[in-house]
Amino acid sequence: MKEELFVSGRDIPFIDPVLHIWHWQIPLYLFVGGLAAGLIFFASYFFLKGDENKYPVAVKIAPFLAPIVIVLGLIALVVDLRHPAYFWQLYTNFRIVSPMSWGAWTLGAIMPLSILWPFSYIYDIKDYFDGRLCKMPFKLISWVIKMIDRYWIIKWIYDWSIKLRKPIAIINLVLSIVLGVYTGILLSAFNARPLWNTSILGPLFLVSGISTGAAAIMWMAKDHNEKIAFSKIDLMLIGVELFFIIHMFMGFLASSAVQQEAAALFLGGEFTAVFWGFFVFAGLIFPAIMEIMELYGYKIPISIPAFFILFGGALFRFIMVDAGQITRFLY
Amino acid sequence: MEDKSKKYMNPYLAGVILGFIIMAAFFFSGEGIGGSGAFKDVVKTTVTSVAPEYSVNSHYFKSAAESEKSPIKTWLVFEILGVLMGAAISGAFAGRLTLKVEHSPKITSKTRIIFAILGGMLFGIGSQLGRGCTSGAGLSGMAVMSVSGFLAVGVIFGSGYLFAWFFKKLWI
Repeated sequence: MKEELFVSGRDIPFIDPVLHIWHWQIPLYLFVGGLAAGLIFFASYFFLKGDENKYPVAVKIAPFLAPIVIVLGLIALVVDLRHPAYFWQLYTNFRIVSPMSWGAWTLGAIMPLSILWPFSYIYDIKDYFDGRLCKMPFKLISWVIKMIDRYWIIKWIYDWSIKLRKPIAIINLVLSIVLGVYTGILLSAFNARPLWNTSILGPLFLVSGISTGAAAIMWMAKDHNEKIAFSKIDLMLIGVELFFIIHMFMGFLASSAVQQEAAALFLGGEFTAVFWGFFVFAGLIFPAIMEIMELYGYKIPISIPAFFILFGGALFRFIMVDAGQITRFLY
Repeated sequence: MEDKSKKYMNPYLAGVILGFIIMAAFFFSGEGIGGSGAFKDVVKTTVTSVAPEYSVNSHYFKSAAESEKSPIKTWLVFEILGVLMGAAISGAFAGRLTLKVEHSPKITSKTRIIFAILGGMLFGIGSQLGRGCTSGAGLSGMAVMSVSGFLAVGVIFGSGYLFAWFFKKLWI
């Protein structure tokens, strides 16, 4: 650790000399937000394209994970709040220049839709879990189906959720992209944190989130063609991600001194090994090698590249949130 | 594609290649190869960050706790990561990459996992008492003509041969 003597009249714990108010909750939330955006994006896109039966897991099954992970992320956010009981005040206004406002409203809209979507495919999800080692999901879904038969209001919602699939898919397609971009813009709006204050963070987090969504789908897929299709999509996304990462650093190095110092944290500084070794190599390049081998006909258990992509996606957000709080203008 | 999953490399050739790998490790990193050292560094990092007060007072963790740089920032940790990923890629090339528990037909997977964990724990303790494992003390030690290296390999394989008799029911 570098020792630093700091003489100042200011007394702002957790902010001075280093911002340290965001712990595990925020990166976890950004990760699950990206993952949910990816799952919802693929479901809506392939539904609208008419590939419902070509990619059944992507359209019908995997989206059930989205509301679950969003709820987990929201729980993490509430844990992070100093005054959890006031969270609803985010919904009392809408500020077009505030990414947090965009995020709150997007989540508010996507949450019910992301529940309705898998609800309309509940029988397919039941079939998917039939005969699995873990009986819990199957029992839970069977119970929900029983409720559909028993109460007319639930049956009514179910019937409408099927009829409304197309408009839901159109809205979800837009909202999922907003959600994915928002997870990055949320950070880049902090103009006092040089590492975050780059416009490339929005598209980078979007691509990374969609890539984790593709990884989750290929892990869950039963059909070989679907696995291969999502493996190819993922490979392309990894390529785009690497392109963005390289350009992010090129941008930093061509920028002002504070941003060059922010980049130095990753180019010889304390985050070098974990960023390049664990995220770029283990979380992007290694799974990419496995996926390329799979495309050439080698037998690869798909869970290995899928796990490393999900791991890399989560780690990337933890590193960016951690490192970003260290970078500052105070020199 | 033809089934290559049963074809293994000639062990003598693999041994010679391993020797060249040790040479390359000395050339590029200035250190030999090792296995247990990486796990030791991970344990030290975990203990010093989870229980910093305990680690300062403990003889074993003291050096790591007082060090300027993170104890995980060593060549061995990255070497082991490379070993894991390289093994996965090499296994995939041979068509052997699957997730399974290999065991004798006479025992269950559970027994195999329990004994593997027990064996791993004993190996961890032993490697710390002996200041290195088969690769660290044995191979890297022999590569620099250290007497302890030759002794370690002799004792590791000798005692392995001896104790295998007691545990043969786990395998045959």
